[in-house]
Amino acid sequence: MPPKSSSGNEKDIAEEDEVLQAVILADSFNKRFKPLTVGKPRCLLPICNATLLDWTFESLALAGVQEIFVICRSYADQVKAAIRDSKWSKPSTGLKIVPIVTAKETFSPGDAMRDIYTHQIITSDFVLVTGDLVSNVRIDEVVRVHKERRRTNKDAIMTMVVKESGATHRTRSRGESGVYVLDPNTHECLHYEPVVGYPATSRVTMPREILAEHPEVEVRYDFIDCSIDVCSVEVPSLFQDNFDYGDIRRDFVYGVLTSDLLMKSVHCYVVKDGYAARVADTRSYDAVSKDILSRWTFPLVPDDNHPGGHQYEHLRGNKYIAKDNSVSLSRTCKIGNNTLIGSHTTISANASVHASVIGQRCTIGPGAILRDAYIFDDTHVGAGAVVEGSIVGARVTLGDGCRVPRGCLIADSVAIGANAKLRKFERVSKKREARPQAAGDGSDGDDEEDSDSELEEVEANQEDAAQIIGRDSNALVWPHPSPDDDEELDERESFYNQRLMRIGDTASDLELSDGGSTTSASETETESDFSGMHGLSRTSSATSASGPLSSAVDPSAETSAIHTLSSAAAETEFRSEVAQSLERAFAEGHSVDNAAVELKTLRMASNVPLRRVREAVVGAIVDRVPLVPGDAAAQRAEIAKIVRRWGPLVDKIGGVDPVETVEVLQYHCAAAGPRLPLFAQVLAQLYQQDLVEEEDIRAWHASPAARGEGVKPGSALLEGLKKCWAIGAKMIEQFESEEEEESEEESEEESADEKPAREAPAAKPPAKEDESESEEESDEESGSEESEDAPATAKPTAPKAAAVSSSSSQTSKPAQTESEDSETDEGSDEFVSGEEEVSAEAPAKPTTPAATVSSAPSAAPAKAAAESSDESEEDE
Amino acid sequence: MAPDPTPIPGHKAVETLVAKLRRRQIVGSRQAALETVLVLRQVVSKARFSNIQQLIVIIREAGRRLVEAQPKEHTVGNTVRRVLHNIREEYHSAVKVSAPTSSRNVYTISKFVLQGQPRKQTVGAPKSETTATLKEDDPDDPDSFARGIKPILMEAIQDVLDELETVYDNVSKTAKDHIHSDEIILTIGHSRTVEAFLKSAGHTRNYTVIVAETAPSYSGHDMARALSAAGISTFLVPDSSIYAIMSRVNKIILGAHAILANGGLVAITGSLLAATAARAHSTPVVVCAGQFKLTPLWNLYHDYGALDFADPSSVLGFEEGKLVERVDVVNPYYDYVGPELVDVFITNDGDHPPSSVYRLIKETYDDDDHEL
Repeated sequence: MPPKSSSGNEKDIAEEDEVLQAVILADSFNKRFKPLTVGKPRCLLPICNATLLDWTFESLALAGVQEIFVICRSYADQVKAAIRDSKWSKPSTGLKIVPIVTAKETFSPGDAMRDIYTHQIITSDFVLVTGDLVSNVRIDEVVRVHKERRRTNKDAIMTMVVKESGATHRTRSRGESGVYVLDPNTHECLHYEPVVGYPATSRVTMPREILAEHPEVEVRYDFIDCSIDVCSVEVPSLFQDNFDYGDIRRDFVYGVLTSDLLMKSVHCYVVKDGYAARVADTRSYDAVSKDILSRWTFPLVPDDNHPGGHQYEHLRGNKYIAKDNSVSLSRTCKIGNNTLIGSHTTISANASVHASVIGQRCTIGPGAILRDAYIFDDTHVGAGAVVEGSIVGARVTLGDGCRVPRGCLIADSVAIGANAKLRKFERVSKKREARPQAAGDGSDGDDEEDSDSELEEVEANQEDAAQIIGRDSNALVWPHPSPDDDEELDERESFYNQRLMRIGDTASDLELSDGGSTTSASETETESDFSGMHGLSRTSSATSASGPLSSAVDPSAETSAIHTLSSAAAETEFRSEVAQSLERAFAEGHSVDNAAVELKTLRMASNVPLRRVREAVVGAIVDRVPLVPGDAAAQRAEIAKIVRRWGPLVDKIGGVDPVETVEVLQYHCAAAGPRLPLFAQVLAQLYQQDLVEEEDIRAWHASPAARGEGVKPGSALLEGLKKCWAIGAKMIEQFESEEEEESEEESEEESADEKPAREAPAAKPPAKEDESESEEESDEESGSEESEDAPATAKPTAPKAAAVSSSSSQTSKPAQTESEDSETDEGSDEFVSGEEEVSAEAPAKPTTPAATVSSAPSAAPAKAAAESSDESEEDE
Repeated sequence: MAPDPTPIPGHKAVETLVAKLRRRQIVGSRQAALETVLVLRQVVSKARFSNIQQLIVIIREAGRRLVEAQPKEHTVGNTVRRVLHNIREEYHSAVKVSAPTSSRNVYTISKFVLQGQPRKQTVGAPKSETTATLKEDDPDDPDSFARGIKPILMEAIQDVLDELETVYDNVSKTAKDHIHSDEIILTIGHSRTVEAFLKSAGHTRNYTVIVAETAPSYSGHDMARALSAAGISTFLVPDSSIYAIMSRVNKIILGAHAILANGGLVAITGSLLAATAARAHSTPVVVCAGQFKLTPLWNLYHDYGALDFADPSSVLGFEEGKLVERVDVVNPYYDYVGPELVDVFITNDGDHPPSSVYRLIKETYDDDDHEL
């Protein structure tokens, strides 16, 4: 019994006794917190008096993570020391924390992931978070969902945790967000489009096959990206393979979703209850602090489970005062709502503190005013000083009467003179003491050198600094960034976009409203707004027509037509390349896999649809067969040899579509006159190699393309197609009689009678109907709900049945139970009404354009059908 | 052994429970109490001590850690006090201190007045005494005392555990004496004790329960579901109509999170509303709770944070971005209901008026454990 509490705990966290691992990217890879992060990594900045790293650890511990790898780059020794000294490294926490110092050349999360890969530390699915996470989400639940999904779908490599919020929520980063296209049923992320706040994004494109493949899609622009990802083991290796992946969202997720070679999928987990957000910039620092103080992160609140281990007392109006009676509040000071005051802090007479966080051992002078201010430990605010909407580092001295207007960042140990007036968004850091020491620091590594050069630049521009920071100051004033000097930065880090991430910046003067607001409205409301959806899909199709966009795997004839038009030049080149490549492969006897890789690369390079590749491969195989006229057996042996050797290549080029394979084979044989006789034998051989199944041949045979529709009548091609089709019909006939030996014999007399072949298709459809009817009947017996599935299986084109159909089947259910006799008749009635009502309902869901077309006429018959079943009920 | 920072025996179990309590992975008064007993049993079984004082220091240390971790789960502290009380009692009977222990449980008001605080004497007295069977501070074999007394102590802890496990049955034993046929009972929240009580009455009586839905946790929904599944005629009403229907209600039955020494109680939010409405209609208010919820604290109503403010998401959705910025939302989980609003407490130790709760507390815990 005794060990129950601990082992039981572990069990419900990681089933199958797997250790749940987490990776924290403790480096931010950007400079948004400069100069606060001069001489200190960002993850050690305090928020609500506990370091960001502590909050992250607590979030992970809450989820039952047992092993944590902390990837640190800048100031790695500080991070390591902080971990060593924290309560987390004690054995009783049950956490194993391993700091990993990456190379100085690590400049992006992608580099860090590659580092993780080279360290080979990941053994199973793991949680990937950033070192600035504040969350109370049950990540173990996300992991469970992820693992469950992985059990059925090995390609679901990643689950992103997102939280719903409004598009303009304070905690949601406006400068850096994304549009998510989700399948609402499976929560698969179908497309991801990174969005920056400035310049305002007015449109988003998405591949249109998403709409073809998914009856319902959600386009969401209201998610907070929590930067919690549950990843499978292959994610780091994918980073390794794709050396240009930098950002996890913008490059990796976008890359995986748009690549049709990887065939991997990414899912979203929409957090319903729980809070998760990252402190990615100073603006979100402000927002997350406020969220913590107003208890959204419960139970991670200062008075309950403070990650720093401090004890706070919660007072009315969400004021938190350190519990150990060491805080000295003057009788006349005013403490406003949403305020946190650390231990040993003194607040003098007439000072007023609103919506602020004050660290430990601070002194706030008489009459000082703090509003939305974040003051770190050991800071002195002079008498009558005013601090608004700013972050003030540790050990700072603000002189009497000095003014810190909104948006200022004051680094550690700065002293600001009396009556100094800082400008808005001023950034101030401490002057370095002496050169030699700085040089010594610089030897620590690139990052320090980096900041050195930056500081030198800052030091060079100190002409008017004295008036700003007052006398007796040890501070350096950092130059205000200007919109001109960001050529080398990517759009996220551009000046205007950074303004959206800056504390205290309302950015009201930026041009964000015009085009941006209208689109963002249609983006967020697309679920209910069909026209908006339509607009989006139209733009996407427009782009796919104009440029070589990656809408590749679409068998329908029209899209391929578009492609032929658009990229004809690329295709001819591609064709010759493929021919050469295959020639080489055949000649030099490459393995199938190698040949497949080569083809994939070629396809990527010239950006052609999959069908072209298939055509090329099938064509090459057929052309490879040496013609042995007269000797049927020898011919058969040749074909078998070739197909056995190279047939598997057809399925390895990036997608398996046997129906298309047969079609391609048909067209190729029909076009190349002398090889027309080979069609039957190759098809038979493909069938024997299990590359093509019986159903596939049937499906091909039933398709209009197989019958040569759309081909100019009277041409030789059509003639060939018809012959092939007839052969196919014969083959199907033989499947039905199940006499395969004969089939090979007969197919040799390929030129022979077309008559029976033509009769076959006529005989076929009724047979199929019989089949589906018998299916319906059995479904009927097993229960009315089953009938929802019947249309989907019998006719693949029918839209998926939905709630309405079950309601309609319920209406006729009483009749069924009353009379067994009329059951079959009613059953078929019900089947029809069910299916048609589905399509009538479809326009409510704006995602199936095909369904909307058929909706209007079908509504009436549906009603009629329902009535007829009512009538039969009355008859009883 | 002074209370030094050397790890408590069973340290790991204590720390695990501390973490769980802090993270609110264990919620609910009975659950917390059960886990506490299990951990304390582990602590005692692993403890090394050569006299009873050392053991008590160890247990108090562990208890203090647990209580600090989550001061709002009062049952944790209560259970620690209870265990200490039982251990002392078993110890005294084991070393056969004759006079004071025999009259130990017989408490009357008159005796109380006469003796003042008898507990102090009884605890102090046996320290110097030793017996033949159990020798404390044996210099030859320091573990002999522990070996001898541990089985007895484990039994004492087992008693606490048994009591917790049977608490629902014992509370609802007398249910049919309190609920009569054709009565209309109002309740709020989903207290297991109240559920067991009502179900037990439902076996013999035919009555109606009105359940307030208890926003914003809506635990009333579960309660209504559970009761109607047991065949009791149940109505679910919004909290706002409690006052309106009060004139038809015969009795209010409340669950408690903690019963305070002054006879007040901490109960799920909405209880104060119901109790006040009941007062206006002179409807009796009955509180069902196990003895383990008796808490030797009385000043909690000064303590704003004691009401346990949960996250505001159940009141105002986080997605209401603009509103979240401008509105302060509070979501207290508990209400403090004063003793003047309660008529009777039904516990597994009999029925008591609020005015005698202090006495129950005196009987259940030792005075010197009030501050752990």
